[in-house]
Amino acid sequence: MSDPEPDCPKGSEGPALFDRPALEEARALIEACGLRFEPEFDDLIGLYEEGRLVACAARVGYVLKMIAIIPSHQGTDTLGELLTRLIQSGLAAGQETLFVFTLPQNAPSFQALNFRLLVAHGQAALLEFGPGLEAYLAAHAAQITPGRNGAVVINGNPFTLGHLYLVEQAAARVDRLYLFVVREDRSVFPFAVRFRLAREATAHLANVTVLDTSRYAVSAATFPSYFLKRLDAHSAAQMQIDLRLFAERIAPRFHVATRFAGQEPLCPTTAAYNRMMAEVLEASGIGMVELPRRQAGGQPISATRVRAAFRAGDWATLAQLLPPATLAFLRSEAARPIHQQMEET
Amino acid sequence: MRIRTRASAGTMQSSDLMVVVEPSDTLQIDVDSTVKKQYEHLIRAQIGVTLEQLQVTAGHLKITDRGALDYAIAARVETAIRRAAKE
Repeated sequence: MSDPEPDCPKGSEGPALFDRPALEEARALIEACGLRFEPEFDDLIGLYEEGRLVACAARVGYVLKMIAIIPSHQGTDTLGELLTRLIQSGLAAGQETLFVFTLPQNAPSFQALNFRLLVAHGQAALLEFGPGLEAYLAAHAAQITPGRNGAVVINGNPFTLGHLYLVEQAAARVDRLYLFVVREDRSVFPFAVRFRLAREATAHLANVTVLDTSRYAVSAATFPSYFLKRLDAHSAAQMQIDLRLFAERIAPRFHVATRFAGQEPLCPTTAAYNRMMAEVLEASGIGMVELPRRQAGGQPISATRVRAAFRAGDWATLAQLLPPATLAFLRSEAARPIHQQMEET
Repeated sequence: MRIRTRASAGTMQSSDLMVVVEPSDTLQIDVDSTVKKQYEHLIRAQIGVTLEQLQVTAGHLKITDRGALDYAIAARVETAIRRAAKE
């Protein structure tokens, strides 16, 4: 951005000043507003009036959070001032679309600022600002084919024979299978690698299209606690939002009639996600099919097993768990930094 | 005037608008407004007048409007473009 000095809001009354608040000061305000203070953020701004912190808000990547305004200042104008700053800071960081997770009763205040409601359920609403979902769907319009299609959403960290089995089984039951690879870069294998391996490993399946989820499935916006492997009331609300967003906004556009998932005997977060998936999707008229996991050596194949074997240099096991594309990648020079990173953690 | 870099102007306050401009080979104008249904055509007309005055023929303009009046639209668009042209 060539514009470090934001424009003055018109008609602001009295001396108001933006500054980065001290953490303890921000925490007190955020907690007084009934929100959880989280110390991770890229930007935190405070609005001061006569030396007193009256409002604050934070941005982490493309997610806005901890938006707290004292009761006397609640109203769209203070929110507008805060969001102007955060949108500017988001743009400067290359984030064109920003998301906010809020209470459904607060959604209209954001909508008055041109945020769009993506999905609301129970005590949670997800809104976005910027090109967003419509731009994402428009960019994929050419890949959408009519029919009774299916979808699989994977992280693929990295792509295993278990993923391949799931994709093959699912693809055989639908006209076209959309294989969505989670874009969020919080895994050992970066998105570009996970996406490429998914594509190479499924290249022989003519009715499979590999797509990127953007921010619209299992992301920091829709389901942040997936990456924390934490199960609580928050993660249950997030799963609802994530699954409803898929059911209401994504699936209809891709003509998805069935979503497939592998049975999850190991990870409690994924198991809970699958249970809720059946419930939420079926309420929207979308089928959910859980397929048994492919086994190797008497145990289900999982990416966790692959990462452990890769870390240990156990190539005999890796050969049983991986398709040629992933195996070739792990043997390549490009995988070396990933191996190093795994050894350090 | 040529748009060389990304720049912005304006705020999300009531009766104001936020304008982001980016370099592009063609002219593209996206308008989001709380009064889009009633006034999108007038907002676009005002932007068109300002672009013509500044002789801008290419660029991507993203407008987020909260019911700004014509002079505010003209001022914010002009400021964003001058910033993007590095004047």
